[in-house]
Amino acid sequence: MIGYTIRRVLIALPTLLVVLTITFVLVRIAPGDPAEVRLGDYASKEAVEALRKEMGLDKSMWVQYLKTLKGLLKGDFGRSMINGRPISADLKRSLPYTLELTLLGIIFGAIFGIPTGVYTALRRNTFADYIGRTLSLAGLSFPTFYLGILLMLAFAIKIPLFPVVGGGDIHNFADNLHHLVLPGLTLGLIMTAYVTRMARSSVLNLLNEDYVRTARAKGLAERKVIYIHLLRNALLPIIALIGIYSIVLIGGSVMVEIVFSRPGLGKMMIGALKQRDYTTLQAVMITFAGFVVLINLITDLAYGLIDPRVKYK
Amino acid sequence: MKKIKEMLLTIFGIGFLFFLSGTLAFGAGDKVLRLAMDAADIADINPHFAHTGQDRAIVHLIFTGLVRYRPGDIGEFEPDVAESWEVSEDGLTWTFHLRKGVMVHPWKNNPGYELTSEDVVYSFQTAADKAKSAWAGEYAGMTVKALDPYTVQFKLEKPMSELLFLPKVADYAGGLIIPKKPAEELGEDFRTHPVGTGPFIFKEYLPKEKVVTVRNDKFYRGMPKLAGVEVFLMADLSSRKFGLQSKELDVIEGPPSQPWVEEMRALPGVEVDVFGPGEAGVLHFNLKKKPFDDIKVRRAIGYALSRDEVVTAIGKAIANPVFSEIPQPQPGFITYDEAKLRGRQDKKDYLYEFNREKARKLLTEAGFSKGFKTEIYLTERGEYQVPMQNVVAQLRESGINVKLTVVDHSTYHHNIRADMNPIVLYNCWRPTADVRLTYFAHSDSIVVTGKRPNTNFSHVGKEDADGDGKVDSVDYLIDAARDLLNTNGQKALWKEAQFNLLDWCVAYPLFIKKFTFARQNYVDWGYDLQSTLVLSPQINELTVITK
Repeated sequence: MIGYTIRRVLIALPTLLVVLTITFVLVRIAPGDPAEVRLGDYASKEAVEALRKEMGLDKSMWVQYLKTLKGLLKGDFGRSMINGRPISADLKRSLPYTLELTLLGIIFGAIFGIPTGVYTALRRNTFADYIGRTLSLAGLSFPTFYLGILLMLAFAIKIPLFPVVGGGDIHNFADNLHHLVLPGLTLGLIMTAYVTRMARSSVLNLLNEDYVRTARAKGLAERKVIYIHLLRNALLPIIALIGIYSIVLIGGSVMVEIVFSRPGLGKMMIGALKQRDYTTLQAVMITFAGFVVLINLITDLAYGLIDPRVKYK
Repeated sequence: MKKIKEMLLTIFGIGFLFFLSGTLAFGAGDKVLRLAMDAADIADINPHFAHTGQDRAIVHLIFTGLVRYRPGDIGEFEPDVAESWEVSEDGLTWTFHLRKGVMVHPWKNNPGYELTSEDVVYSFQTAADKAKSAWAGEYAGMTVKALDPYTVQFKLEKPMSELLFLPKVADYAGGLIIPKKPAEELGEDFRTHPVGTGPFIFKEYLPKEKVVTVRNDKFYRGMPKLAGVEVFLMADLSSRKFGLQSKELDVIEGPPSQPWVEEMRALPGVEVDVFGPGEAGVLHFNLKKKPFDDIKVRRAIGYALSRDEVVTAIGKAIANPVFSEIPQPQPGFITYDEAKLRGRQDKKDYLYEFNREKARKLLTEAGFSKGFKTEIYLTERGEYQVPMQNVVAQLRESGINVKLTVVDHSTYHHNIRADMNPIVLYNCWRPTADVRLTYFAHSDSIVVTGKRPNTNFSHVGKEDADGDGKVDSVDYLIDAARDLLNTNGQKALWKEAQFNLLDWCVAYPLFIKKFTFARQNYVDWGYDLQSTLVLSPQINELTVITK
């Protein structure tokens, strides 16, 4: 398993390189650059050119690309082209906010989604099933930012339980958790919709399997049939889906961070994009890509824990 | 099963206690003012680079200038770090006498020190350095030296009137004083760790979240009434509004939108400030692009547009029509009545009041009886979208079809400076009439091809603007006004330049749009807020939370 993990990490390196290259080229093709943004619309072209030179933007794209690669190989993301701060320090601060948000979204999704999916599958075509399906469809149709605003309105304004500004103090568990509930719930409800649908169809597919019938024929209690025999097999596709949708969730976290003003990676990315902060944007995109690779790896490893038939070669 | 239940109850109980403690902490109040700006992050809070709304809001808490615009009224200057000043008769030498006891904020392990002329000289030399300032162009042609620890002297290559010189040393942009020692010691870090002499001391910057400042107990105008100011960076309007409603925020930046102003005014305990000077929106016609090289086409556009309609679209509570390149209340502006009267005298029309028949007639004379099509880039920002879409709708009624290609704001600025637009809508405020006219109407500032390319989008000064086959320019009027010491004479020349520009219709002044902020009614600015160059309400030593 360790060898497999190392191989997977090595395979991921070209993926990260491709992400870096695409980001590097695209941001530089887009009109406008950090020198223009930093100096503002008041500055003369002369001043912009001088700053461009100082930033090294007058050099060919190849030279800039090789310089970036060289820095990354040393583990150095460089400094922000707009405010000069070390990017790794900003990443270090932003990362926990995005990680905790995504994690809570997944946890909410799993806690609400799996039981609802199993419950509706076991009561197929009943009123409960219709309600479950309708709600999960509604969840899929809701834009993240809109759901976030609705939750804010309900639980911060009408019933003032939660704050709406910022991510709280990351070193103060209570404050941090207090700020995390609403954004986590926003992502979690979207995730719940996905997980519910997948859990339902997964259980439905397995309900008529021979081993389920055999277990029932043996006279096992229905609860044991469901939780020991059926659910364990149904979990495999559900985990695969949670893995895939966790990646979608990271994308969704960008909007949630903007709506809830959380200082995470999403806000960092949008800020860098607007300010044409090339170096920061590259670093954030690589971090996001790293996440995707990591989640895929964790998902694959989780298969083996649940299904002993899965071997890592 | 029982054990599981007990465990769950325990977890829930602990969670609830944590939650409760969070709620209590969240409810605790103090006298720190919390301002939320429309931004995902700061850009640069070195005052010599700070130009965005959020950066300016922060640097004006921390830095001060030799003189300052009177809080709430940019029409007046008052002493600040300098307690007095004098100018030589030839207007070439300006001498400032510094106030004693102006303390530079403490930073890192340094307790701070008394500001002297050495710091002031360093600051203005930095402001004039292209590598260290976005405003370097404003400080060319002057040298500054310290006569003694409390006296600073500026020597100018050309005389300069008070109208033009004081804004350069006031609490705005390059005029904000950067003390020497912290700037040199912090180096690159100064951009995110500013140290100044203002009413509030920088405490910390939490990236993408907020900048925290605390009261400067040693502020030379007296101890500020607030314990500190926190500037939150919140790009989403809904969350800013909810933050205000939940009282997590005291002041929020609003969009330039009348419905928003009305919505905020309807909230209990909330007041809205609509203040100037605002940003003047002017349409610039590119004389290098057909058919805008034809004066009849440009004038036809002028007559096809109703300024009142544009202002109504933006919102009458936040916008007013303007009739000259230099907007009211900047010295040198032209009023409606002035333009009308002068028009009668000159037998010309400087106002281009809405007259669709006249527009069609001019278009027919220009050979466009069936109208024409054109295509322009426009930024995605609402303050441009709302007026421009109204302009496009109005022009369509006269047969002029303008296709808008919407791009992000950086791309828009890049494209218009690359001379790609036949019509440019530009919203801005410039500190003096000289700056405004130089940048928008002097031939040196023509985009791409000028000596110092800036924002002369129309190419006036190098093109035939009135159709007589000769190049038309107002350079001589702008240059002459700059060198005058008599401010009335300056204003007369600026007006003359603008009457020419209006006659040639190279630019069409549309509106001036004010800034909108909502606040809790317990926030008292401490002064009457009419206008400020901070772009947000200036929070100073007088500002107080009265609850």
